[in-house]
Amino acid sequence: MTSLQRIRKVLKGLLMLLGAAFLLLIPDKGYLIIGLILSVVLILDGIRSLWFYFTMARNMVGGKMILFRGIIGLDLGVFAYTLKEIPPVYILLYLLIANLFSGVVDVLRAMEAKRMESRWRLSFVTGAFNILLAVACGFCFRDPTVLTYVYAAGLITSAFLCIAQTFRKTAIVYIP
Amino acid sequence: MQEDFHYYATYCAAFLAGYSHEESLCISYSAQFVDLCSASLLAKLRAPKSAATTQLSMEMADARTDLPGLQNITRIWASFHFLPYDLNAEKKGVSRRYRRKYRLICHPNGSLVEDTVRLAKGGSLQSVGLAMHVLADTWAHSNFAGTPSLVINNTDSHFYELMPDGTERAVRFRHNPIGPDDLENGIYTNSIYQMGENSIMNLGHGRAGHLPDYSFLRYKYLPAWDGYREIIKDNPSDYLHAFCQMIEAMKYLRGERDSFVRERYDWAAIQGLEDEIREILNRRQNNACADWKALGEKLSGQEIEDFSVETYQQEYLEAAGKDKDATFLGKFFLAALAQKSMVTNKIYKSGSLLAGYSVDFWEKGFRGIKDFRKLVDQVRDSRK
Repeated sequence: MTSLQRIRKVLKGLLMLLGAAFLLLIPDKGYLIIGLILSVVLILDGIRSLWFYFTMARNMVGGKMILFRGIIGLDLGVFAYTLKEIPPVYILLYLLIANLFSGVVDVLRAMEAKRMESRWRLSFVTGAFNILLAVACGFCFRDPTVLTYVYAAGLITSAFLCIAQTFRKTAIVYIP
Repeated sequence: MQEDFHYYATYCAAFLAGYSHEESLCISYSAQFVDLCSASLLAKLRAPKSAATTQLSMEMADARTDLPGLQNITRIWASFHFLPYDLNAEKKGVSRRYRRKYRLICHPNGSLVEDTVRLAKGGSLQSVGLAMHVLADTWAHSNFAGTPSLVINNTDSHFYELMPDGTERAVRFRHNPIGPDDLENGIYTNSIYQMGENSIMNLGHGRAGHLPDYSFLRYKYLPAWDGYREIIKDNPSDYLHAFCQMIEAMKYLRGERDSFVRERYDWAAIQGLEDEIREILNRRQNNACADWKALGEKLSGQEIEDFSVETYQQEYLEAAGKDKDATFLGKFFLAALAQKSMVTNKIYKSGSLLAGYSVDFWEKGFRGIKDFRKLVDQVRDSRK
Protein backbone atom coordinates (compact mmCIF):
# COMPACT_ATOMS: atom_id res chain seq x y z
CA MET A 1 0.00 0.00 0.00
CA THR A 2 1.14 3.55 -0.68
CA SER A 3 1.40 6.01 2.23
CA LEU A 4 -1.69 7.80 0.92
CA GLN A 5 -3.65 4.55 0.89
CA ARG A 6 -2.55 3.84 4.46
CA ILE A 7 -3.60 7.32 5.60
CA ARG A 8 -6.96 6.90 3.88
CA LYS A 9 -7.52 3.58 5.60
CA VAL A 10 -6.71 5.00 9.05
CA LEU A 11 -9.05 7.95 8.45
CA LYS A 12 -11.79 5.60 7.31
CA GLY A 13 -11.32 3.50 10.44
CA LEU A 14 -11.41 6.55 12.70
CA LEU A 15 -14.58 7.82 11.00
CA MET A 16 -16.23 4.46 11.57
CA LEU A 17 -15.25 4.55 15.25
CA LEU A 18 -16.64 8.06 15.57
CA GLY A 19 -19.88 6.94 13.93
CA ALA A 20 -20.16 3.97 16.27
CA ALA A 21 -19.55 6.15 19.34
CA PHE A 22 -22.21 8.57 18.14
CA LEU A 23 -24.71 5.77 17.66
CA LEU A 24 -24.01 4.35 21.12
CA LEU A 25 -24.62 7.77 22.68
CA ILE A 26 -28.15 7.95 21.29
CA PRO A 27 -29.24 4.31 20.89
CA ASP A 28 -32.98 5.08 20.87
CA LYS A 29 -32.70 7.32 17.81
CA GLY A 30 -29.69 5.58 16.31
CA TYR A 31 -31.68 3.63 13.75
CA LEU A 32 -32.69 6.90 12.08
CA ILE A 33 -29.04 7.66 11.51
CA ILE A 34 -28.43 4.10 10.27
CA GLY A 35 -31.26 4.57 7.78
CA LEU A 36 -29.67 7.80 6.66
CA ILE A 37 -26.27 6.13 6.31
CA LEU A 38 -27.75 3.28 4.26
CA SER A 39 -29.56 5.65 1.89
CA VAL A 40 -26.37 7.68 1.43
CA VAL A 41 -24.51 4.41 0.78
CA LEU A 42 -27.10 3.54 -1.90
CA ILE A 43 -26.66 6.94 -3.55
CA LEU A 44 -22.88 6.60 -3.46
CA ASP A 45 -23.14 3.06 -4.84
CA GLY A 46 -25.27 4.34 -7.72
CA ILE A 47 -22.75 7.06 -8.49
CA ARG A 48 -19.92 4.53 -8.22
CA SER A 49 -21.68 2.22 -10.69
CA LEU A 50 -22.09 5.06 -13.17
CA TRP A 51 -18.43 5.95 -12.76
CA PHE A 52 -17.51 2.29 -13.21
CA TYR A 53 -19.57 2.16 -16.40
CA PHE A 54 -17.93 5.20 -17.96
CA THR A 55 -14.37 4.24 -16.98
CA MET A 56 -14.46 0.45 -17.35
CA ALA A 57 -17.68 -1.34 -18.23
CA ARG A 58 -18.47 0.50 -21.46
CA ASN A 59 -15.60 -1.54 -22.96
CA MET A 60 -17.19 -4.77 -21.84
CA VAL A 61 -19.59 -7.11 -23.59
CA GLY A 62 -22.97 -6.52 -21.93
CA GLY A 63 -21.64 -3.51 -20.01
CA LYS A 64 -24.92 -1.60 -20.37
CA MET A 65 -26.26 -3.60 -17.40
CA ILE A 66 -23.90 -1.62 -15.18
CA LEU A 67 -25.28 1.63 -16.52
CA PHE A 68 -28.84 0.54 -15.70
CA ARG A 69 -27.77 -0.66 -12.28
CA GLY A 70 -26.17 2.71 -11.58
CA ILE A 71 -29.27 4.62 -12.60
CA ILE A 72 -31.61 2.38 -10.59
CA GLY A 73 -29.31 2.37 -7.56
CA LEU A 74 -29.04 6.14 -7.60
CA ASP A 75 -32.79 6.45 -7.94
CA LEU A 76 -33.40 4.07 -5.03
CA GLY A 77 -30.88 5.92 -2.89
CA VAL A 78 -32.49 9.29 -3.55
CA PHE A 79 -35.90 7.76 -2.85
CA ALA A 80 -34.71 6.28 0.46
CA TYR A 81 -33.14 9.60 1.39
CA THR A 82 -36.38 11.49 0.83
CA LEU A 83 -38.30 9.17 3.16
CA LYS A 84 -38.73 10.74 6.58
CA GLU A 85 -38.21 7.49 8.34
CA ILE A 86 -37.23 4.04 7.08
CA PRO A 87 -39.08 1.43 9.17
CA PRO A 88 -36.53 -0.27 11.49
CA VAL A 89 -37.68 -3.66 10.30
CA TYR A 90 -36.02 -3.15 6.90
CA ILE A 91 -32.73 -2.12 8.44
CA LEU A 92 -32.92 -5.05 10.80
CA LEU A 93 -33.55 -7.38 7.91
CA TYR A 94 -30.48 -6.02 6.15
CA LEU A 95 -28.32 -6.60 9.23
CA LEU A 96 -29.76 -10.06 9.74
CA ILE A 97 -29.00 -11.18 6.18
CA ALA A 98 -25.50 -9.65 6.20
CA ASN A 99 -24.56 -11.36 9.48
CA LEU A 100 -26.12 -14.66 8.53
CA PHE A 101 -24.29 -14.78 5.20
CA SER A 102 -20.96 -13.87 6.77
CA GLY A 103 -21.50 -16.46 9.52
CA VAL A 104 -22.37 -19.27 7.14
CA VAL A 105 -19.29 -18.53 5.00
CA ASP A 106 -17.06 -18.62 8.09
CA VAL A 107 -18.50 -21.92 9.28
CA LEU A 108 -18.17 -23.49 5.83
CA ARG A 109 -14.58 -22.30 5.67
CA ALA A 110 -13.90 -23.78 9.10
CA MET A 111 -15.34 -27.10 7.96
CA GLU A 112 -13.16 -27.04 4.85
CA ALA A 113 -10.08 -26.36 7.01
CA LYS A 114 -11.09 -29.09 9.46
CA ARG A 115 -11.32 -31.61 6.65
CA MET A 116 -7.72 -30.73 5.84
CA GLU A 117 -6.77 -31.03 9.52
CA SER A 118 -5.79 -27.37 9.40
CA ARG A 119 -6.68 -24.55 11.85
CA TRP A 120 -10.43 -24.15 11.94
CA ARG A 121 -11.56 -23.11 15.42
CA LEU A 122 -11.23 -19.32 15.05
CA SER A 123 -13.20 -19.31 11.81
CA PHE A 124 -15.83 -21.54 13.38
CA VAL A 125 -16.23 -19.36 16.46
CA THR A 126 -16.46 -16.17 14.35
CA GLY A 127 -19.04 -17.80 12.10
CA ALA A 128 -21.08 -19.15 15.00
CA PHE A 129 -21.00 -15.69 16.62
CA ASN A 130 -22.28 -14.02 13.45
CA ILE A 131 -25.06 -16.57 13.07
CA LEU A 132 -26.06 -16.11 16.72
CA LEU A 133 -26.07 -12.36 16.20
CA ALA A 134 -28.37 -12.76 13.23
CA VAL A 135 -30.68 -14.98 15.27
CA ALA A 136 -30.63 -12.42 18.12
CA CYS A 137 -31.54 -9.69 15.61
CA GLY A 138 -34.47 -11.86 14.55
CA PHE A 139 -35.73 -12.08 18.14
CA CYS A 140 -35.45 -8.34 18.75
CA PHE A 141 -37.41 -7.50 15.66
CA ARG A 142 -39.30 -4.60 17.19
CA ASP A 143 -36.57 -3.00 19.29
CA PRO A 144 -34.63 -0.30 17.41
CA THR A 145 -32.20 0.10 20.33
CA VAL A 146 -30.84 -3.43 19.86
CA LEU A 147 -30.50 -2.73 16.17
CA THR A 148 -28.34 0.30 16.93
CA TYR A 149 -26.08 -1.72 19.24
CA VAL A 150 -25.60 -4.47 16.65
CA TYR A 151 -24.82 -1.97 13.91
CA ALA A 152 -22.41 -0.07 16.17
CA ALA A 153 -20.63 -3.33 17.10
CA GLY A 154 -20.23 -4.13 13.39
CA LEU A 155 -18.83 -0.67 12.76
CA ILE A 156 -16.31 -0.97 15.59
CA THR A 157 -15.08 -4.38 14.32
CA SER A 158 -14.72 -3.05 10.77
CA ALA A 159 -12.94 0.06 12.04
CA PHE A 160 -10.35 -1.96 13.98
CA LEU A 161 -9.80 -4.30 11.03
CA CYS A 162 -9.37 -1.31 8.75
CA ILE A 163 -6.81 0.35 11.02
CA ALA A 164 -4.98 -2.91 11.74
CA GLN A 165 -4.56 -3.52 8.02
CA THR A 166 -2.59 -0.32 7.54
CA PHE A 167 0.20 -1.77 9.66
CA ARG A 168 0.42 -4.96 7.63
CA LYS A 169 3.57 -5.43 5.60
CA THR A 170 2.55 -5.91 2.01
CA ALA A 171 5.68 -5.45 -0.10
CA ILE A 172 7.38 -8.43 -1.73
CA VAL A 173 11.12 -8.57 -2.01
CA TYR A 174 12.63 -9.41 -5.41
CA ILE A 175 16.16 -10.60 -5.99
CA PRO A 176 17.02 -10.14 -9.69
CA MET B 1 -6.29 -28.26 -16.21
CA GLN B 2 -6.71 -31.01 -13.70
CA GLU B 3 -4.78 -33.85 -12.12
CA ASP B 4 -4.85 -35.84 -15.36
CA PHE B 5 -2.68 -33.30 -17.15
CA HIS B 6 -0.74 -31.71 -14.28
CA TYR B 7 0.26 -35.02 -12.73
CA TYR B 8 0.11 -37.85 -15.26
CA ALA B 9 0.67 -35.96 -18.53
CA THR B 10 3.48 -33.95 -16.91
CA TYR B 11 5.07 -37.26 -15.89
CA CYS B 12 4.91 -38.41 -19.52
CA ALA B 13 6.38 -35.12 -20.78
CA ALA B 14 9.19 -35.21 -18.20
CA PHE B 15 10.05 -38.79 -19.11
CA LEU B 16 10.04 -37.94 -22.84
CA ALA B 17 12.31 -34.97 -22.05
CA GLY B 18 14.87 -37.39 -20.64
CA TYR B 19 14.25 -37.36 -16.90
CA SER B 20 14.35 -40.68 -15.02
CA HIS B 21 11.22 -42.28 -13.59
CA GLU B 22 11.99 -40.96 -10.09
CA GLU B 23 12.78 -37.46 -11.35
CA SER B 24 9.64 -37.44 -13.50
CA LEU B 25 7.55 -38.41 -10.48
CA CYS B 26 9.06 -35.60 -8.46
CA ILE B 27 8.37 -33.08 -11.23
CA SER B 28 4.81 -34.22 -11.82
CA TYR B 29 4.07 -34.29 -8.08
CA SER B 30 5.21 -30.68 -7.80
CA ALA B 31 3.20 -29.67 -10.87
CA GLN B 32 0.04 -31.10 -9.34
CA PHE B 33 0.82 -29.78 -5.85
CA VAL B 34 0.43 -26.22 -7.19
CA ASP B 35 -3.32 -26.86 -7.24
CA LEU B 36 -3.33 -27.94 -3.58
CA CYS B 37 -0.89 -25.69 -1.77
CA SER B 38 -3.41 -23.42 -0.03
CA ALA B 39 -3.10 -21.17 3.02
CA SER B 40 -5.07 -23.75 5.02
CA LEU B 41 -2.61 -26.51 4.13
CA LEU B 42 0.34 -24.24 4.91
CA ALA B 43 -1.19 -23.40 8.29
CA LYS B 44 -1.47 -27.09 9.05
CA LEU B 45 2.20 -27.58 8.11
CA ARG B 46 3.26 -24.39 9.93
CA ALA B 47 4.89 -23.32 6.67
CA PRO B 48 5.16 -19.75 5.27
CA LYS B 49 1.69 -18.66 4.19
CA SER B 50 3.08 -16.56 1.37
CA ALA B 51 4.04 -19.79 -0.39
CA ALA B 52 0.37 -20.44 -1.16
CA THR B 53 -0.10 -21.29 -4.82
CA THR B 54 -3.86 -21.67 -4.76
CA GLN B 55 -6.94 -20.82 -2.73
CA LEU B 56 -9.63 -23.26 -1.64
CA SER B 57 -13.20 -22.45 -2.55
CA MET B 58 -14.09 -21.34 0.97
CA GLU B 59 -10.87 -19.38 1.35
CA MET B 60 -11.97 -17.46 -1.72
CA ALA B 61 -15.51 -16.99 -0.47
CA ASP B 62 -14.05 -15.58 2.71
CA ALA B 63 -11.29 -13.54 1.07
CA ARG B 64 -11.37 -9.80 1.61
CA THR B 65 -11.56 -7.82 -1.60
CA ASP B 66 -10.01 -4.66 -0.23
CA LEU B 67 -6.65 -3.63 -1.67
CA PRO B 68 -4.32 -6.01 0.25
CA GLY B 69 -6.81 -8.84 -0.21
CA LEU B 70 -7.02 -8.27 -3.96
CA GLN B 71 -3.26 -8.08 -4.22
CA ASN B 72 -2.92 -11.40 -2.45
CA ILE B 73 -5.48 -13.02 -4.75
CA THR B 74 -3.78 -11.59 -7.84
CA ARG B 75 -0.33 -12.69 -6.70
CA ILE B 76 -1.54 -16.25 -6.35
CA TRP B 77 -3.65 -16.58 -9.47
CA ALA B 78 -1.58 -14.48 -11.85
CA SER B 79 1.71 -16.08 -10.76
CA PHE B 80 0.65 -19.72 -10.94
CA HIS B 81 -2.51 -20.16 -13.00
CA PHE B 82 -3.07 -17.18 -15.31
CA LEU B 83 0.35 -15.91 -16.25
CA PRO B 84 -0.08 -12.51 -17.96
CA TYR B 85 0.82 -12.50 -21.64
CA ASP B 86 1.83 -8.92 -22.25
CA LEU B 87 2.29 -6.48 -19.40
CA ASN B 88 2.76 -3.63 -21.86
CA ALA B 89 -0.31 -4.37 -23.97
CA GLU B 90 -2.19 -1.35 -25.26
CA LYS B 91 -5.87 -0.89 -26.00
CA LYS B 92 -7.20 2.32 -27.43
CA GLY B 93 -9.80 4.46 -25.69
CA VAL B 94 -9.69 2.77 -22.30
CA SER B 95 -8.94 4.12 -18.85
CA ARG B 96 -5.68 3.40 -17.05
CA ARG B 97 -7.53 1.25 -14.54
CA TYR B 98 -9.02 -0.84 -17.34
CA ARG B 99 -5.67 -1.18 -19.09
CA ARG B 100 -4.01 -2.51 -15.94
CA LYS B 101 -6.52 -5.35 -15.78
CA TYR B 102 -6.41 -5.91 -19.52
CA ARG B 103 -2.67 -6.44 -19.31
CA LEU B 104 -3.14 -9.37 -16.95
CA ILE B 105 -4.96 -11.48 -19.55
CA CYS B 106 -3.30 -14.84 -19.93
CA HIS B 107 -2.19 -16.32 -23.28
CA PRO B 108 0.53 -18.82 -24.11
CA ASN B 109 4.00 -17.79 -25.27
CA GLY B 110 4.28 -14.51 -23.41
CA SER B 111 7.64 -13.26 -22.19
CA LEU B 112 6.73 -14.25 -18.62
CA VAL B 113 6.64 -17.92 -19.63
CA GLU B 114 10.22 -17.57 -20.71
CA ASP B 115 11.05 -15.88 -17.39
CA THR B 116 9.27 -18.67 -15.52
CA VAL B 117 11.20 -21.43 -17.28
CA ARG B 118 14.50 -19.57 -16.86
CA LEU B 119 13.81 -19.11 -13.17
CA ALA B 120 13.62 -22.88 -12.81
CA LYS B 121 16.93 -23.41 -14.61
CA GLY B 122 19.52 -24.82 -12.25
CA GLY B 123 16.89 -25.12 -9.54
CA SER B 124 15.25 -28.04 -7.82
CA LEU B 125 13.00 -30.57 -9.53
CA GLN B 126 10.19 -28.97 -7.56
CA SER B 127 10.83 -25.68 -9.35
CA VAL B 128 10.74 -27.54 -12.68
CA GLY B 129 7.35 -29.05 -11.80
CA LEU B 130 6.01 -25.71 -10.66
CA ALA B 131 7.16 -24.05 -13.89
CA MET B 132 5.47 -26.80 -15.93
CA HIS B 133 2.20 -26.16 -14.14
CA VAL B 134 2.41 -22.46 -14.94
CA LEU B 135 3.36 -23.12 -18.57
CA ALA B 136 0.57 -25.66 -19.12
CA ASP B 137 -2.03 -23.37 -17.57
CA THR B 138 -1.19 -20.56 -19.99
CA TRP B 139 -2.74 -22.81 -22.67
CA ALA B 140 -5.79 -23.97 -20.76
CA HIS B 141 -6.57 -20.64 -19.09
CA SER B 142 -5.94 -18.50 -22.12
CA ASN B 143 -8.17 -15.36 -22.46
CA PHE B 144 -8.85 -14.98 -18.73
CA ALA B 145 -7.02 -12.94 -16.09
CA GLY B 146 -5.80 -14.06 -12.67
CA THR B 147 -7.44 -11.20 -10.86
CA PRO B 148 -11.10 -10.61 -10.02
CA SER B 149 -12.49 -8.57 -12.91
CA LEU B 150 -15.96 -8.40 -14.36
CA VAL B 151 -14.85 -6.38 -17.38
CA ILE B 152 -12.25 -8.98 -18.34
CA ASN B 153 -13.47 -12.36 -17.14
CA ASN B 154 -17.22 -12.18 -17.61
CA THR B 155 -18.99 -14.33 -20.19
CA ASP B 156 -22.58 -14.17 -21.38
CA SER B 157 -25.18 -16.51 -22.85
CA HIS B 158 -23.44 -16.62 -26.22
CA PHE B 159 -21.57 -19.83 -25.40
CA TYR B 160 -21.63 -22.87 -27.67
CA GLU B 161 -19.91 -26.21 -27.60
CA LEU B 162 -18.57 -27.32 -30.98
CA MET B 163 -19.48 -31.00 -31.18
CA PRO B 164 -17.27 -33.61 -32.90
CA ASP B 165 -19.92 -34.11 -35.62
CA GLY B 166 -19.65 -30.46 -36.63
CA THR B 167 -22.85 -29.27 -34.94
CA GLU B 168 -23.09 -26.64 -32.21
CA ARG B 169 -24.80 -27.02 -28.85
CA ALA B 170 -25.65 -24.16 -26.51
CA VAL B 171 -23.81 -24.52 -23.20
CA ARG B 172 -26.11 -24.41 -20.18
CA PHE B 173 -24.61 -23.10 -16.98
CA ARG B 174 -25.84 -23.66 -13.45
CA HIS B 175 -24.40 -22.56 -10.11
CA ASN B 176 -24.35 -25.75 -8.08
CA PRO B 177 -20.78 -25.88 -6.71
CA ILE B 178 -21.02 -29.50 -5.57
CA GLY B 179 -22.86 -30.95 -8.54
CA PRO B 180 -20.64 -32.60 -11.17
CA ASP B 181 -20.71 -31.27 -14.73
CA ASP B 182 -23.14 -33.11 -16.95
CA LEU B 183 -21.01 -33.78 -20.01
CA GLU B 184 -23.72 -35.76 -21.80
CA ASN B 185 -26.24 -32.96 -21.76
CA GLY B 186 -23.81 -30.04 -21.82
CA ILE B 187 -24.72 -28.66 -18.39
CA TYR B 188 -21.80 -27.10 -16.56
CA THR B 189 -21.29 -25.33 -13.25
CA ASN B 190 -20.01 -21.77 -13.32
CA SER B 191 -19.76 -18.90 -10.85
CA ILE B 192 -22.69 -16.55 -10.25
CA TYR B 193 -22.95 -13.31 -12.20
CA GLN B 194 -21.90 -10.51 -9.88
CA MET B 195 -21.86 -6.91 -11.02
CA GLY B 196 -19.04 -5.95 -8.67
CA GLU B 197 -15.82 -5.57 -10.65
CA ASN B 198 -13.75 -7.14 -7.88
CA SER B 199 -16.15 -9.87 -6.84
CA ILE B 200 -14.40 -13.19 -6.34
CA MET B 201 -17.00 -14.68 -8.72
CA ASN B 202 -15.21 -12.83 -11.49
CA LEU B 203 -11.82 -14.42 -10.90
CA GLY B 204 -10.14 -16.30 -13.75
CA HIS B 205 -12.38 -18.64 -15.72
CA GLY B 206 -15.04 -18.93 -13.00
CA ARG B 207 -17.70 -17.49 -15.29
CA ALA B 208 -16.85 -20.07 -17.95
CA GLY B 209 -16.98 -22.91 -15.45
CA HIS B 210 -14.54 -25.77 -15.87
CA LEU B 211 -14.73 -25.73 -19.64
CA PRO B 212 -11.09 -24.66 -20.04
CA ASP B 213 -10.07 -27.64 -17.86
CA TYR B 214 -11.47 -30.37 -20.13
CA SER B 215 -9.01 -31.43 -22.81
CA PHE B 216 -11.70 -32.72 -25.19
CA LEU B 217 -13.79 -29.54 -25.42
CA ARG B 218 -14.07 -27.15 -28.32
CA TYR B 219 -16.28 -24.14 -27.79
CA LYS B 220 -16.91 -20.58 -28.86
CA TYR B 221 -17.95 -17.62 -26.76
CA LEU B 222 -17.69 -13.87 -26.37
CA PRO B 223 -15.03 -12.82 -23.90
CA ALA B 224 -15.94 -9.64 -22.07
CA TRP B 225 -12.82 -7.80 -23.22
CA ASP B 226 -12.70 -8.36 -26.96
CA GLY B 227 -15.35 -6.01 -28.34
CA TYR B 228 -17.96 -8.63 -29.28
CA ARG B 229 -15.46 -10.73 -31.23
CA GLU B 230 -16.08 -14.44 -30.92
CA ILE B 231 -13.29 -16.66 -29.67
CA ILE B 232 -13.03 -20.31 -30.67
CA LYS B 233 -11.22 -22.32 -28.03
CA ASP B 234 -9.80 -25.61 -29.25
CA ASN B 235 -8.71 -27.41 -26.11
CA PRO B 236 -7.38 -30.64 -27.74
CA SER B 237 -5.04 -28.60 -29.92
CA ASP B 238 -4.04 -26.30 -27.04
CA TYR B 239 -3.35 -29.22 -24.72
CA LEU B 240 -1.19 -30.93 -27.34
CA HIS B 241 0.80 -27.73 -27.80
CA ALA B 242 1.17 -27.46 -24.02
CA PHE B 243 2.45 -31.04 -23.86
CA CYS B 244 5.07 -30.54 -26.55
CA GLN B 245 6.12 -27.18 -25.14
CA MET B 246 6.63 -28.79 -21.74
CA ILE B 247 8.97 -31.36 -23.32
CA GLU B 248 10.85 -28.56 -25.05
CA ALA B 249 11.13 -26.56 -21.83
CA MET B 250 12.27 -29.54 -19.78
CA LYS B 251 14.91 -30.43 -22.36
CA TYR B 252 16.23 -26.91 -21.86
CA LEU B 253 16.10 -27.30 -18.09
CA ARG B 254 18.00 -30.58 -18.30
CA GLY B 255 20.67 -28.91 -20.42
CA GLU B 256 19.79 -30.69 -23.64
CA ARG B 257 18.89 -27.37 -25.30
CA ASP B 258 20.92 -24.18 -25.11
CA SER B 259 17.93 -21.92 -24.78
CA PHE B 260 14.20 -21.94 -24.27
CA VAL B 261 12.58 -20.34 -27.26
CA ARG B 262 8.91 -19.40 -27.23
CA GLU B 263 6.60 -20.95 -29.81
CA ARG B 264 8.86 -23.95 -30.22
CA TYR B 265 7.37 -27.38 -29.62
CA ASP B 266 9.11 -30.71 -29.53
CA TRP B 267 6.89 -32.54 -32.03
CA ALA B 268 9.68 -35.00 -32.73
CA ALA B 269 9.52 -36.30 -29.16
CA ILE B 270 5.96 -37.55 -29.62
CA GLN B 271 6.51 -39.23 -32.99
CA GLY B 272 4.79 -42.59 -32.84
CA LEU B 273 2.73 -41.46 -29.86
CA GLU B 274 0.82 -38.61 -31.40
CA ASP B 275 -2.28 -40.61 -32.35
CA GLU B 276 -2.49 -42.12 -28.88
CA ILE B 277 -2.10 -38.73 -27.22
CA ARG B 278 -4.70 -37.13 -29.50
CA GLU B 279 -7.06 -39.95 -28.67
CA ILE B 280 -6.65 -39.33 -24.93
CA LEU B 281 -7.11 -35.60 -25.37
CA ASN B 282 -10.26 -36.03 -27.45
CA ARG B 283 -11.97 -38.62 -25.27
CA ARG B 284 -15.10 -37.17 -23.67
CA GLN B 285 -14.60 -37.83 -19.95
CA ASN B 286 -14.49 -35.96 -16.65
CA ASN B 287 -10.85 -36.76 -16.16
CA ALA B 288 -8.29 -38.64 -18.18
CA CYS B 289 -6.10 -39.85 -15.30
CA ALA B 290 -6.37 -43.55 -16.18
CA ASP B 291 -5.45 -42.96 -19.83
CA TRP B 292 -2.45 -40.74 -19.11
CA LYS B 293 -1.32 -43.08 -16.34
CA ALA B 294 -1.39 -46.05 -18.73
CA LEU B 295 0.62 -44.09 -21.28
CA GLY B 296 3.16 -43.02 -18.66
CA GLU B 297 3.62 -46.57 -17.39
CA LYS B 298 4.00 -47.82 -20.95
CA LEU B 299 6.71 -45.22 -21.59
CA SER B 300 8.79 -45.84 -18.47
CA GLY B 301 7.83 -49.41 -17.71
CA GLN B 302 7.39 -48.36 -14.09
CA GLU B 303 4.35 -48.01 -11.91
CA ILE B 304 3.17 -44.43 -11.36
CA GLU B 305 1.81 -44.16 -7.86
CA ASP B 306 -1.43 -42.26 -7.35
CA PHE B 307 -1.12 -38.67 -6.22
CA SER B 308 -1.66 -38.07 -2.54
CA VAL B 309 -1.40 -34.66 -0.93
CA GLU B 310 -0.12 -36.36 2.26
CA THR B 311 2.97 -37.99 0.75
CA TYR B 312 5.62 -35.51 1.89
CA GLN B 313 3.89 -33.77 4.79
CA GLN B 314 5.38 -35.86 7.58
CA GLU B 315 8.90 -35.32 6.28
CA TYR B 316 8.34 -31.55 6.41
CA LEU B 317 6.73 -31.59 9.84
CA GLU B 318 9.51 -33.71 11.34
CA ALA B 319 12.39 -31.68 9.89
CA ALA B 320 13.93 -29.20 12.29
CA GLY B 321 14.40 -25.47 11.63
CA LYS B 322 16.46 -24.77 8.56
CA ASP B 323 16.41 -28.44 7.52
CA LYS B 324 12.82 -27.92 6.44
CA ASP B 325 14.03 -26.04 3.36
CA ALA B 326 15.88 -29.17 2.23
CA THR B 327 12.78 -31.36 2.36
CA PHE B 328 10.60 -32.05 -0.66
CA LEU B 329 7.93 -29.55 0.36
CA GLY B 330 10.52 -27.05 1.62
CA LYS B 331 12.03 -26.92 -1.88
CA PHE B 332 8.57 -26.53 -3.36
CA PHE B 333 7.79 -23.59 -1.06
CA LEU B 334 11.05 -21.88 -2.03
CA ALA B 335 10.21 -22.32 -5.71
CA ALA B 336 6.73 -20.90 -5.10
CA LEU B 337 8.09 -17.85 -3.26
CA ALA B 338 10.59 -17.20 -6.06
CA GLN B 339 7.92 -17.43 -8.78
CA LYS B 340 5.55 -15.16 -6.87
CA SER B 341 8.29 -12.64 -6.22
CA MET B 342 9.32 -12.62 -9.90
CA VAL B 343 5.79 -12.19 -11.30
CA THR B 344 4.88 -9.53 -8.71
CA ASN B 345 7.99 -7.62 -9.69
CA LYS B 346 7.14 -7.72 -13.41
CA ILE B 347 3.57 -6.55 -12.78
CA TYR B 348 4.78 -3.81 -10.44
CA LYS B 349 7.35 -2.63 -12.97
CA SER B 350 4.63 -2.37 -15.61
CA GLY B 351 3.14 0.40 -13.46
CA SER B 352 0.43 -1.63 -11.77
CA LEU B 353 -0.12 -2.26 -8.08
CA LEU B 354 -2.63 -5.04 -8.72
CA ALA B 355 -0.24 -7.64 -7.36
CA GLY B 356 1.29 -5.35 -4.74
CA TYR B 357 4.60 -3.63 -4.12
CA SER B 358 7.87 -5.15 -5.20
CA VAL B 359 11.13 -4.13 -3.56
CA ASP B 360 14.44 -4.70 -5.32
CA PHE B 361 16.65 -6.35 -2.71
CA TRP B 362 19.94 -5.09 -4.15
CA GLU B 363 18.70 -1.50 -4.17
CA LYS B 364 16.73 -1.27 -0.95
CA GLY B 365 17.64 -4.30 1.10
CA PHE B 366 15.05 -6.53 2.68
CA ARG B 367 11.58 -5.05 3.17
CA GLY B 368 8.02 -6.25 3.34
CA ILE B 369 6.52 -9.66 4.02
CA LYS B 370 8.80 -11.71 6.28
CA ASP B 371 8.20 -15.03 4.51
CA PHE B 372 10.23 -13.88 1.54
CA ARG B 373 13.36 -13.64 3.66
CA LYS B 374 13.82 -17.28 2.74
CA LEU B 375 14.74 -16.16 -0.77
CA VAL B 376 17.47 -13.93 0.60
CA ASP B 377 18.79 -16.78 2.77
CA GLN B 378 18.76 -19.05 -0.26
CA VAL B 379 20.89 -16.63 -2.28
CA ARG B 380 23.31 -16.23 0.64
CA ASP B 381 23.58 -20.00 1.08
CA SER B 382 24.23 -20.54 -2.61
CA ARG B 383 27.09 -18.01 -2.51
CA LYS B 384 28.82 -19.70 0.40
